[in-house]
Amino acid sequence: MSDNRDEKLETLLRSRRLEPASADLAQRIILKAGQIPQTRTPPFWQSVRELFGEFHLPKPAYVLASALVLGIVIGLSAPQETTLAVDDSSVSVQGFLTADEALL
Amino acid sequence: MAAGWADKEDNELLALIQNGTGQAFAVLVERHTDRFYRLAYRYLQNRAAAEDIVQDAFLKLWENPALWQPQRNSKFTTWFYRIVVNLCLDQRKKKKPEVLGNDSFVADDRAPADELMIREQEQKIVEKEIAALPERQRTALNLCFDEGLTNQEAAEVMGVNLKALQSLIMRAKTTLKERMKANL
Repeated sequence: MSDNRDEKLETLLRSRRLEPASADLAQRIILKAGQIPQTRTPPFWQSVRELFGEFHLPKPAYVLASALVLGIVIGLSAPQETTLAVDDSSVSVQGFLTADEALL
Repeated sequence: MAAGWADKEDNELLALIQNGTGQAFAVLVERHTDRFYRLAYRYLQNRAAAEDIVQDAFLKLWENPALWQPQRNSKFTTWFYRIVVNLCLDQRKKKKPEVLGNDSFVADDRAPADELMIREQEQKIVEKEIAALPERQRTALNLCFDEGLTNQEAAEVMGVNLKALQSLIMRAKTTLKERMKANL
């Protein structure tokens, strides 16, 4: 019984009605294409993808490189106050030592 | 058309299209228009809309032949089926399909006049039930039953593995059998 139903369903699925396409559909597409110029330059993202594709680097290499670049950027953009603070402290320490020597 | 052109493989034609050879495009269109139309028709159930989709898909390829990347796609038809399916899904999202009135499908208790009427009614019911299936199940059925693609090819078009495709088909058939109990 179930087999019969399976079979009938398969037959129905394989014999679905189809309205045929216009006989000139292919010709219409070809004619229309003749009026459209081709894009010669690939889109921006495609060029970028192709460029990366040339390198064939494994993913960890990209991660490492990104981390390195990020590190450099953060390093270069670190505020200069830290160094100034160090200078200030060294000056004050020197002053203290000098004052100490003066006492002696 | 020169016999030499007709003998060329799809990949060769696509390389020529990328160099702007219109004749190669013409051969490719004539070779594959019907099969992609069939698929689009299954989704849209409307000749004009299906023809527009096929035309759009081919014109996109002509306009920007760099879309085809032989190193990434093994077979033109597999890749292009995917494009047509996506365009059909977009089209369906834009415009909700016309829902045929339920009265068209009400089972008739009386004996139908002849075999043709029964078949016609069955066809209507099967179309209605397929249209009600989830998108992926419907795509799997269309590719495997209408286009005659192997399960492996259909899986590639849909971007799923073989097991997932088989499961989609099985679920679709189970649902159809359940919903069409009275007609099977």
